[in-house]
Amino acid sequence: MNSTNMFERLFFQALRIRLVEERIIDLYPSDVIQSPVHLSIGQEAVAVGACHSLTHNDLVFCTYRSHAFYLAKGGSLNEMFAELYGKITGCARGKAGSMHLAAPDVGLMGTSAVVASTIPHAVGAALAAKRLSKDQVIVGVFGDGATEEGVYHESLNFAALHSLPVVFLCENNGLAVHSFRKARQNFDILGHAQSYGLPVYSVPEGYDFVKVAETMSAVIEQVRLSQEAVFVEIQTFRYKEHVGTGEDFSCGYRNLEDCQSWKRQDPLEQFPALVEAFRPMIMQEIDAAVHFAESSPFPSIEELLCDVV
Amino acid sequence: MLCNSAMTSPVRSEASVSAVIDTDVKVMSYRDALHWTMYDALRCHDSVILIGQGVDDHKGIFGSTIGLAEKFGSDRVMDTPLAEEGMTGVAIGAALNGLYPIQTHIRADFSLLAMNQIINLAAKYKYMFGGKFNVPMLIRMIVGRSWGQGAQHSQSLQSLFAHIPGLKVVMPSSSQTILDTYSMVIAEYQGPVISFEHRLMYDLNFHVDSRTMSRGGDPFGSHVVRQGEDVTIVATSIMVLEAMRAADHLAKVADIQCDVIDLHCVSHPDWDLVMQSVRKTGRLVVADTSWREYGVCAEVCRVVAERNPEYLKKPVVSLAMQPSPCPTAKSLEDLFYPDLRQFVNAVAKLVLGNEAHGVQLPDTQSMADVYKRFKGPF
Repeated sequence: MNSTNMFERLFFQALRIRLVEERIIDLYPSDVIQSPVHLSIGQEAVAVGACHSLTHNDLVFCTYRSHAFYLAKGGSLNEMFAELYGKITGCARGKAGSMHLAAPDVGLMGTSAVVASTIPHAVGAALAAKRLSKDQVIVGVFGDGATEEGVYHESLNFAALHSLPVVFLCENNGLAVHSFRKARQNFDILGHAQSYGLPVYSVPEGYDFVKVAETMSAVIEQVRLSQEAVFVEIQTFRYKEHVGTGEDFSCGYRNLEDCQSWKRQDPLEQFPALVEAFRPMIMQEIDAAVHFAESSPFPSIEELLCDVV
Repeated sequence: MLCNSAMTSPVRSEASVSAVIDTDVKVMSYRDALHWTMYDALRCHDSVILIGQGVDDHKGIFGSTIGLAEKFGSDRVMDTPLAEEGMTGVAIGAALNGLYPIQTHIRADFSLLAMNQIINLAAKYKYMFGGKFNVPMLIRMIVGRSWGQGAQHSQSLQSLFAHIPGLKVVMPSSSQTILDTYSMVIAEYQGPVISFEHRLMYDLNFHVDSRTMSRGGDPFGSHVVRQGEDVTIVATSIMVLEAMRAADHLAKVADIQCDVIDLHCVSHPDWDLVMQSVRKTGRLVVADTSWREYGVCAEVCRVVAERNPEYLKKPVVSLAMQPSPCPTAKSLEDLFYPDLRQFVNAVAKLVLGNEAHGVQLPDTQSMADVYKRFKGPF
């Protein structure tokens, strides 16, 4: 793939995610989506770049903010909207909502609303991959807040100790709900990860999906060959509030100028002609997915106690 | 059932257990049953890994895993860092990607550090994702007791887990229940199972079926272990053995016949079995290894009260730990747990209807002294 093609292809994927979430914003006031949404807008490039070199055989474990990873990994858009609508045709038959999207057929594994809780799952899946010779790379995705949890430490230690094929991918947007890192952390994320003996990589330009893709491509190849864990930190920016569809720059704790300066680097903001070129095709797909969701039935009583044990 | 004649016989050496698979075994200790099921699981299923702090050391989880790392390799029998939440998460991730992890907590108390993974993740993965995932795994938790184990080394936490939809919680009360339950669970069941093993039973020898190491059938079934007409005793874990001792005594000295039910799967008991017995006897004693409040005792009462309280001729009696943390001094510990004398007295009073029932009570001897085959520390 030449560089122009790669840029446009990743641009298309990132734009698709953004337009999907903008449709969620449009729909939200109507209350057809009764589920807390944690939007990825501003962070699309991380998911798109990270999933670029992964196969459907490779597994990704994510967080509650996973619309972007679900779509970038290849999850069905129809099933995603149906899930947000709470319909039986949703990816989890209406039992997950926005926070627990999954598409194991394309390697998008569990997404959890408890911070850091899927990081050890990525490590365990890597243990299985190694033991069963599955030729898989496993990616554990988490935010910077997760690095404060004890289980994060436990997971890095075990993966390094047993040389497991896992990529620890930190989406660092600098915020945990409404708290900045300086209020939470007295350690350096990369230095701390390095102390386990993990190779570490950093991408400060998290808006640049090509750069993310190139870094992750090299990292994934390295893990595939070496079968050893690697740590990647990608700086990114959350354009919206922690949960919900609004912005929170008027709330007094965030600086709008920081966001504007990030947007000046964001290709989705900087190439309006390309946006308009791709928009019709994407909107057609979104319209169809929304229609699919709206025309699907709600789960009925027999679903309530199905799949408990 | 508990093999009285074998209770004083020496425990089979761990190293020999794997050799007894096809022989005509009639007596097997709880520990040896555990060792055999671990050995058999590793032997029969390539997907099985045994993971826990100390599973490969010279003590081998009270002898239940000794020699298995040497036999099956350290990549299948893995020691772990002291990281209960992380290791439970690792087990979940391994289960999601094709392995069958058997995780051990050498004290059930330590599982409290893994509650997030067990309750928020393992119990929910299947339902929360619409049936897309299964988490097949067995978590072995050992209930310590006696010799000053105290407040943080002796808790019997079954009700915390049985409360949570998505988990199956079992409490094997004999070698046979271990053989039956573990073999079936590991081979066939696709969800997370928590088993509470009682430390005091590890050294006890039990009769086992000599023809097969597993009787098959439902690994989560409740069982009538003694039939009687006068009173129903619903019991868990080692309290099943206490119920049998009490029943023997009462039959001998007062011709009181007890119907004893081993509840076994406390999260999903066979309630029909319980109700049939209560209907027959009209009297109910619940004997559990934990606290009565919000626990098995409370749950059995709830179900009887909801289904048909008119079966009861008398109020229900609960036998459980005192409502305090576990003390260490033996004088207090012996008061903390119900003993056989209290058990017999409670049943006699319930059946005969008054304090002055006149039934001869057994000599006071603490339960730990009866069952204990070890001296600490351990």
